[in-house]
Amino acid sequence: MNQRLEALLETVQRPARYTGGEVNAVKKDWAGRTTFCFAFPDTYEVAMSHLGMKVLYEAVNREDDLLCERAMMPWVDMMAGLKEQGIPLFSLESHRPLRDFDAVGFTLQYEMSYTNILAMLDLGGIPLEGRQRPPEAPFVIAGGPCAFNPEPLAPIIDAFLLGDGETATLEMLRVIGQGRAAGLSREDILVNLAGVPGVYVPSLYEASYHEDGSLAAFTPLMPQAPLPIRKRLELDLDAAAFPQRTPLPFSEAVHDRIVLEIMRGCTRGCRFCQAGMLYRPVRERSPEKLLELAKGLFEATGYEEMSLSSLSTGDYSQLLGLIGSLNACFMDQRVSLSLPSLRIDNQLQEALVDTARVKKSGLTLAPEAGSQRLRDVINKGVTEEDLLRSVTEAFEQGWSSVKLYFMIGLPTETDEDLLGIADLARKVVACYYALPKEKRARGLKVVVSASTFVPKPFTPFQWAAQDSLDDIRRKQALLREALKIRGVTFNWHDPQTSFLEACFARGDRRLAKVLLRAYALGCLLDGWSEHFNYQAWLQAFRDTGLDPALYANRVRGKGELLPWELADIGVTRAFLWREHERALAGQVTPDCRLGCEGCGLRRFDGVCLP
Amino acid sequence: MLVVYEKMGPHRFIGHLDLQRAMQRALRRAGLPVRYSQGFNPHLLLSFAAPLSVGVQGAREVMELPLAREMEEQAFLDRLNAALPEGLKALAARALEEETPPAMARLQAARYTLKPEEGLEALGQALPGFLAQASIPFEKRGKAGVRQADLRPLIHDLQLHGGALHALLALSEQGSARPDQLLASLCEYAGIPRPRCLITRTALLDKRLLPLEQP
Repeated sequence: MNQRLEALLETVQRPARYTGGEVNAVKKDWAGRTTFCFAFPDTYEVAMSHLGMKVLYEAVNREDDLLCERAMMPWVDMMAGLKEQGIPLFSLESHRPLRDFDAVGFTLQYEMSYTNILAMLDLGGIPLEGRQRPPEAPFVIAGGPCAFNPEPLAPIIDAFLLGDGETATLEMLRVIGQGRAAGLSREDILVNLAGVPGVYVPSLYEASYHEDGSLAAFTPLMPQAPLPIRKRLELDLDAAAFPQRTPLPFSEAVHDRIVLEIMRGCTRGCRFCQAGMLYRPVRERSPEKLLELAKGLFEATGYEEMSLSSLSTGDYSQLLGLIGSLNACFMDQRVSLSLPSLRIDNQLQEALVDTARVKKSGLTLAPEAGSQRLRDVINKGVTEEDLLRSVTEAFEQGWSSVKLYFMIGLPTETDEDLLGIADLARKVVACYYALPKEKRARGLKVVVSASTFVPKPFTPFQWAAQDSLDDIRRKQALLREALKIRGVTFNWHDPQTSFLEACFARGDRRLAKVLLRAYALGCLLDGWSEHFNYQAWLQAFRDTGLDPALYANRVRGKGELLPWELADIGVTRAFLWREHERALAGQVTPDCRLGCEGCGLRRFDGVCLP
Repeated sequence: MLVVYEKMGPHRFIGHLDLQRAMQRALRRAGLPVRYSQGFNPHLLLSFAAPLSVGVQGAREVMELPLAREMEEQAFLDRLNAALPEGLKALAARALEEETPPAMARLQAARYTLKPEEGLEALGQALPGFLAQASIPFEKRGKAGVRQADLRPLIHDLQLHGGALHALLALSEQGSARPDQLLASLCEYAGIPRPRCLITRTALLDKRLLPLEQP
């Protein structure tokens, strides 16, 4: 570490965020290798909790011709120090500036991290827009859930990967490395990248707009640019790369434990849920493979906690067997298994409580809506009866704290639906007091959290309007009043962040101008409420002549061309529209494990349920 | 088992809680016969002689842990080191007798080396006068707020040679002096701004002023 950097580290909060050198960090020689920097657009603690980064870090570093290092968003004190000292943002492993890599890859987990991408490029010495980058600049690539609507980042990211990255990332890096070795121009390498299945290179397409602001046409500029771009899929998770030697953070991560991804995809079909549509079909890892991975991870890390990751853990077909074998294997090493609150319509909950060494944290349930009518609209197949039964069982088993998650601003929502949230909270409280005093744990705590609904691309609600800020605030006030119940705490946030999230979630490529302007006005770390500057964002919209309400609060017509329809995620537009209509009619659609609902995946790859 | 370890280089930026966790995990990776507390969330039994401030290096730090079964010292050391990164290596291990009081209770003083980047000459000139003072008042910030304290009785020895300050400072439950406070007070006395300074704690001593690991 050089002297200037060491001196800077002596002055910042949590310097261990920036030192690198963690156990299991991989430092490879740069000579003869294609170099990749995985850039996480949030702080070290958030980044080191992210499984996707660990997967790709190891997948790339396993390859002899490639290397992967990491960089994260510095906190404001470090950012100021780097600028003042003229030190470019560097990778944790070799402490090289981002601009020295062949490729820099961002994961797009959340729309409000986009300004951090600009800040990291800027600090790392890379021009913000693709067209400004000189031949030797890194290729800036991106993936993750928000890459399924890549358009707001179109001028900034050179190439997006849509879908699973385990294999595709390696292919992209080789196209870049081989292209550079052969002396190809930057433009030619971009064209070659577009040839990798699942890759979208935005500079090879053109968009035009109607007078009302909606998208008129989206056209490839050359035959090598595919349209639509089919998402990448890892069909066999047992064969897919999974990390065995994850770098151990020195400064504690938000989730600092072994994470086993047991399954990808979900068949439930909740209509608000983007992940449930994006990651179809359902694919499971086998219990044998998971046990082997868990053993390896423990030996490499010494972690004291393990969690299972998926969209719907209760649906994993061999859950009880898996938990049993993990517990048996790790009993002596004192590794506790922490399980997410399983879906409340799942009978497994009861059986699990009997299993030893499952960590008892509070019970968290997500009914999402306050009335059965609205739960039918969003296809959240959970009844009040299910919910109250789970809560009662939990109270009987000694829990006294329950968290209930809801959304407000869902399509068709009325005040009656909202008051249903308070009703439900009151019934949960009643379940607690219904138990004899000596049988219940002391200190009842019911926390009701209501987030603001953000309509997402590739969901049946992709055509829907988000409630206006005034509507949301009125609804929050209504709930605040209705939830003044003893033992109940109500959590809510100002909807401004959700409003911007809604703009960018369904934005087109013109929004990049707003993003660049907002960054120029000083916006960054927007996901951290102490740094979020709403007025600057509004200023950015004004300065660029775009109306945010056009993106967030407008109902799209059935025939409208949507900016994200450049991607083919497998689920068809026809299915989403059918689900949209069923939602408005209050009709539920059963889990597709019970019978194919024709979402389009069968057409897509011929592979569906395991 | 008493373990002497180093915390050098970039590892000086790890906070004490993070170090505890790193050591516990290393012991677990090494598969050593550690012991756990009772209860629903058992934790690995491991205690440290004295936390080290973020930014300060430790050349011979001390931690102690009970073992579930006896183990030969060298074998313990080898296995632990296989799980530890460079800069955080275990240097010695010694099995303790049952009745040995915990290191934290035996600790009386510590030696430090301070390497200021500049101002060494001025500090050297100020040193005799600085030590000749009957008291060196300073503001001590603690959980209870700011209070006045006297640094002088906590400085057992202070010399300048080989381009560095060498200090022997009290470090016990009865009273402690921090090396950065010593530097601040000395610079104030010398009338120079506080220079950037790499501080290393080189030894943890018991009441005999011998290293804690010495029988």
